[in-house]
Amino acid sequence: MQFGVFSVGDVTEDPTTGVTPTEGERIKAMVAIALKAEEVGLDVFAQGEHHNPPFVPSSPTTQLGFIAAQTSKIILSTSTTLITTNDPVKIAEDYAMLQHLADGRVDLMMGRGNTGPVYPWFGQDIRNGIALAVENYALLRRLWREDVVDWEGKFRTPLQGFTATPRPLDGVPPFVWHGSIRSPEIAEQAAYYGDGFFHNNIFWPISHTKQMIELYRRRFEHYGHGAADQAIVGVGGQVFMRKNSQDAVREFRPYFDNAPVYGHGPSLEDFTRETPLTVGSPQEVIERTLSFREHFGDYQRQLFLMDHAGLPLKTVLEQLDILGEEVVPVLRKEFAALKPAHVPDAPTHASLKAAAERARQLETIDEPAVVAEPTAEESTR
Amino acid sequence: MNERVIAVVTAGLTTPSSSRLLADQLSAAVADELSGRGISSRIETIEVRDHAHDLTNNLLTGFPSAELREVLETVEAADALIVVSPTFSASYSGLFKMFFDVLDDQALAGKPVLLAATGGTERHSLVLDFALRPLFAYLKALPVPTGVYAASTDWGPNAAGLRPRITQAAGELVAALHHETPTKSDPFTNPTPFEDLLNS
Ligand SMILES: Cc1cc2nc3c(=O)[nH]c(=O)nc-3n(C[C@H](O)[C@H](O)[C@H](O)COP(=O)(O)O)c2cc1C
Repeated sequence: MQFGVFSVGDVTEDPTTGVTPTEGERIKAMVAIALKAEEVGLDVFAQGEHHNPPFVPSSPTTQLGFIAAQTSKIILSTSTTLITTNDPVKIAEDYAMLQHLADGRVDLMMGRGNTGPVYPWFGQDIRNGIALAVENYALLRRLWREDVVDWEGKFRTPLQGFTATPRPLDGVPPFVWHGSIRSPEIAEQAAYYGDGFFHNNIFWPISHTKQMIELYRRRFEHYGHGAADQAIVGVGGQVFMRKNSQDAVREFRPYFDNAPVYGHGPSLEDFTRETPLTVGSPQEVIERTLSFREHFGDYQRQLFLMDHAGLPLKTVLEQLDILGEEVVPVLRKEFAALKPAHVPDAPTHASLKAAAERARQLETIDEPAVVAEPTAEESTR
Repeated sequence: MNERVIAVVTAGLTTPSSSRLLADQLSAAVADELSGRGISSRIETIEVRDHAHDLTNNLLTGFPSAELREVLETVEAADALIVVSPTFSASYSGLFKMFFDVLDDQALAGKPVLLAATGGTERHSLVLDFALRPLFAYLKALPVPTGVYAASTDWGPNAAGLRPRITQAAGELVAALHHETPTKSDPFTNPTPFEDLLNS
C-alpha cells in the first residue's frame, strides 16, 4: 500500500498569528513538504493545480520537476490535473517529459476541477464538464500509446499525423487515477479503462465515498479488468496529531474554525464524526485510517492532507515526522497483514514496464496466432 | 398497502408558531380527505427551525449531516408535500428558502405541493403566488391551484374564512395525488455505460 501527502497549495493566513505567507514562501514550503515526505519514508507527494488566488500551483510539472531533481524515491503525482480545461496534447507532453526527468516516478490524478470560472478562462464551458473529461482523456491515452495520431473531436482542433514528444519513458505511459467527488460518470470512466479511482473524500461522509467506490469496483469487474476487489482504489485523509489528543484538538481548533471550505460551519467534533478528519494522538489516527478498509475494501493508496488552513510550515514538517515515524510504519504492517494475496498493489512505472515486457514476450511466443475479429457478416451466420 | 406519506415542511420561528398551527390544520384536512376516500396517511412534519444549524453547515460544506440527510430523504420519498413559510419582508423567509436550496433540485419533480404562508398582514397574501409558486415551479413540483395564507386576523375574527380555503386546498392536493410521480433512475445502480458517454 502506498502512503503519501497531497497539497492543495492554498495561501491562507495563520489565524493564530495573522501571518500570511507570500506566494514565493508557499511555493517553497510545498517543496520542503515534498522533500520531507521522502525523508520520512512516504511513497507519494501529490499537488493540486489551480488557476486562481489564493492558490499557487498553476504549473505542476515545473514544481514537480524541481522536486524530482532533489528526490530519488518518492512518486510525484497530482491532485488533480485538470483534464477538462488543459489541452490533452500539453498534458501528454508535460508528463512524459516529467517521467523522463524523474526516472518514471510519476503518475497523475485526473480531475474536473471545482472552480467554475476556470472553464471560461480556458475557453471552455462548464456545462461540458463530463464530456470534456471523457473526450480529452480518450485523446490523452492515444497520444501516449500511439506514435502517430490522427484525431478529430468536439473540443479541440483536429490532429493529423501528430506525434506527442517525448514519447513516454520505456514506452510506458504514466499510471492514471481518476479523482472524483460526486460524479458516477468518473467512476465509470476509471472502471472502463481499468485505471485507478481516487475518491477525494476529505470533506465527505463515509457513506457517500463507499457508494462511489462500490460503483467503481463493480464496473471494473464488469469491464473485465479483474475481480471487484482487485480494482485500484485510493482515498484521502486529513489528520492533525499530538502525543496527547487534547493538545492536538486545542492546537488545531483555530485552524479548523477559520479554514477555507468548512470554516465557520460545523464544529470540529461534528466534522470529525462526519468526515475522515482525525485530530488526536497518532494511535487514534492509526485506528481511524485502518477503519477505512472496512468501508472501502483493501485499497492501494492513502493520501493525507497536512498543509492547509494556514498551518505554518514548521508545524506541517513536525506533523510529517509523526506521520512517517509513528503512523505509517504501523499502517503499512497492519494493512499488509490484512490484504489477501490476489489484491494487487498500485501500479508503478517498474510494475507497468515489467507487465508490458511480459505481454510482448507472450506475443512473440504465440506469434502467428493473430485472431482476426469476425466481420459482421461472419458473426451473423 | 394503501397509505400515502405527506411531508410537511414548516418554517415558523416562534413558539407557538402560527405557521405550525396552519401546517397542522392543513395536514389534518389532508388526512381527513384521504380517509374519506379509504386511504390511510402518514404525516411527517418537519420543523425547519430544528435543522437551522445543519442547513447552514450544508451550505458551507456541501453535504448534509446524517440527521439532515434523513429529513431530506423523507421529503424526497413523500407522496406529497405541504409547505408553510412565514412571510418575511414580503417573501418567504430565508430559512425556508435554505431548506429548498440544499434539497436536490430534482427531488420534488412531479410531486404535488400545497403552498401556504403566514404573515402579519393580510395585504401580503400574494406572497403565495409571487414568491412560493415560482420557486416550486422551478423545482418542477406540481403546486395545487389553491394556496392558503393566514394573517394574524385569520386566527381571530376571520377564522371562518380560513376554513373553506384549507378544505379546498386539501381536496386539490389529494386529487393531485393520482398523478404518477416520475421514477428517478439511480446513477449508482444504473450508471450510464461508458460507450454512451464516449459517443454522446
Ligand atoms: C424579519 C421579519 C420580517 C417580516 N416581514 C413580514 C412581511 O413582510 N409581511 C408580513 O405579512 N409579515 C411579516 N412578518 C411577520 C411574520 O410573517 C409573522 O409573524 C409570521 O406569521 C410568524 O410565523 P411563526 O409564528 O410561524 O413564526 C415579518 C416578521 C419578521 C420576524
